[in-house]
Amino acid sequence: MSAIAPQKLVEAESVVAGYLPGVDILTGCSLSLAVGEIVGVIGPNGAGKSTLLKAMFGLVAVRSGVVRLSGDDVTNLAANALVERGVGYVPQRENVFPSLSIEENLRMGLYLRPHAWTERFDVVTGLFPLLAERRRQRAGSLSGGERQMVAMARALMMDPTVLFLDEPSAGLSPIFQEQVFERIQQINAAGVSVVMVEQNATRCLEISHRAYVLDQGRDAYTGTGDELLGDPKVTELYLGTLAARRL
Amino acid sequence: MADGLRLGLVLAVASVGLSLIFGVTGLTNFAHGELVTFGALVAYFLSASGVVPEIPLVAAGILAVVAGAGFGWAHETILFRPLRRRKSGNVSLIVVTIGLGLFLRNAYLILFGGRPRPFDEFTIQTAVDLGPVSLRPKDLVVMAVGACALLGVGLMLQRTRLGRGMRAVADSRDLAAASGIDVDRVILAVWVGGAALAALGGVLQGVSETVETDMGFGLLLLMFASVILGGLGTAYGAMVGGVLIGLASQVSTYWLSPKYRIGVALAVLIGAILVRPQGILGRRERVG
Ligand SMILES: Nc1ncnc2c1ncn2[C@@H]1O[C@H](COP(=O)(O)OP(=O)(O)OP(=O)(O)O)[C@@H](O)[C@H]1O
Ligand SMILES: [Mg+2]
Repeated sequence: MSAIAPQKLVEAESVVAGYLPGVDILTGCSLSLAVGEIVGVIGPNGAGKSTLLKAMFGLVAVRSGVVRLSGDDVTNLAANALVERGVGYVPQRENVFPSLSIEENLRMGLYLRPHAWTERFDVVTGLFPLLAERRRQRAGSLSGGERQMVAMARALMMDPTVLFLDEPSAGLSPIFQEQVFERIQQINAAGVSVVMVEQNATRCLEISHRAYVLDQGRDAYTGTGDELLGDPKVTELYLGTLAARRL
Repeated sequence: MADGLRLGLVLAVASVGLSLIFGVTGLTNFAHGELVTFGALVAYFLSASGVVPEIPLVAAGILAVVAGAGFGWAHETILFRPLRRRKSGNVSLIVVTIGLGLFLRNAYLILFGGRPRPFDEFTIQTAVDLGPVSLRPKDLVVMAVGACALLGVGLMLQRTRLGRGMRAVADSRDLAAASGIDVDRVILAVWVGGAALAALGGVLQGVSETVETDMGFGLLLLMFASVILGGLGTAYGAMVGGVLIGLASQVSTYWLSPKYRIGVALAVLIGAILVRPQGILGRRERVG
């Protein structure tokens, strides 16, 4: 057990998980994240990318396999306990509280540490100045891109060491997508390790230190971003259409 | 009119739990009426049954609310949490609640008997005139207690951490968990609080009318109407809807036989949701 390298922040080993009894969505999926890394996860729709994040975050029951955080076994620990241990998560859908204002959304993010409000609010709005200007606006009335900002800011309120992002660029215009990827790199540079599920595979692989290609509930390929971008098998399996478009 | 306000306040108190439980768990609880009856029966048992040494109705009412809270706790921990863990589908859960309601109604009937009974205290009171309306003093008390309870719930939801947690879980469970909120604890708190309020509603209804084993079931449709009219899953919606439905159904008895009370309430409901499908306080969100 002591062989676990301490710099491994998150490790998922042969995780089997699913929603309905008897139906496994993840069929033995592994992933690791080292301190300081951005790890990308790509794969076709329905591959189980979101399910993998939820399983690691305690929102979907892990049926077998192990999830470790800094070497501790956190398999099936409740999400709120993981938040306490420094994990942040931004879901793919419903990523803000629509009936609450931007400020109230950020306060929700600090539910466990309300006293740190002024300090954290300053840090987080330093990253997303727009949110301070529009703090009274209801999150339900924001555009998709603005919501993504609120969602990431909410997750950062607790000053996490790891951030799980589920398709942060989905549905955004190219300019907004670029902004989101820039922010993610900024956040990472500030010391937060990131696991990022993305459908914009090319951009994802470009900014990720390493990446996994998920297919049918398991990790089919893994490597550095550049390796995967250049791998013909990956191109065939998943990047096919995108790569063809780039030619 | 005043009587409609009274019924409305009682409905509002009783249906907050129905709405909040739906909000945080997605469960449509057809046995919610039995939580209402439970409160009235416990209060009757303690204050007027003669089986145990009788205590004043006020004390019995308070104990009934506490017992109602315990009943809600039992609902969640013994039945609904395990069912949620098993990922039971919504339809099966609805069937479970219908069965539970039937079971409880019959259990009440066996224990209490079918005869409607009033509480011993305040049975016969003459109405006093207050300006244009005349009201029995006990109805005034019922209305005051109901209004205070609603105010308390409103403040709790708005001002306390637990209240904000409840609103967050109702908005989105996963996101609430991702914000560090202990979702299971919040759901339990909603069951306990919602069932306590339902029990209070039952006591109040029993004071105004009589205690019967199917009194809560009789209110169920009106409670659903209140909750849907106000906006499913929102606590304030249940309050506003309850008052409106109570007023509408009671005022109609000036012109129509009381038999049509529920029909009138449903007509109001249908009319309102044709105009505003999400309910008065429900939200229609932009998606994306
Ligand atoms: N709540 C749920 N209940 C039951 N099945 C689900 C649920 N959520 C997802 N699934 C199933 O799990 C499988 C994987 O879904 P998942 O959301 O993990 O895919 P994904 O890789 O994130 O896809 P996408 O790129 O479309 O977001 C799908 O077949 C889906 O139908
Ligand atoms: Mg997904």
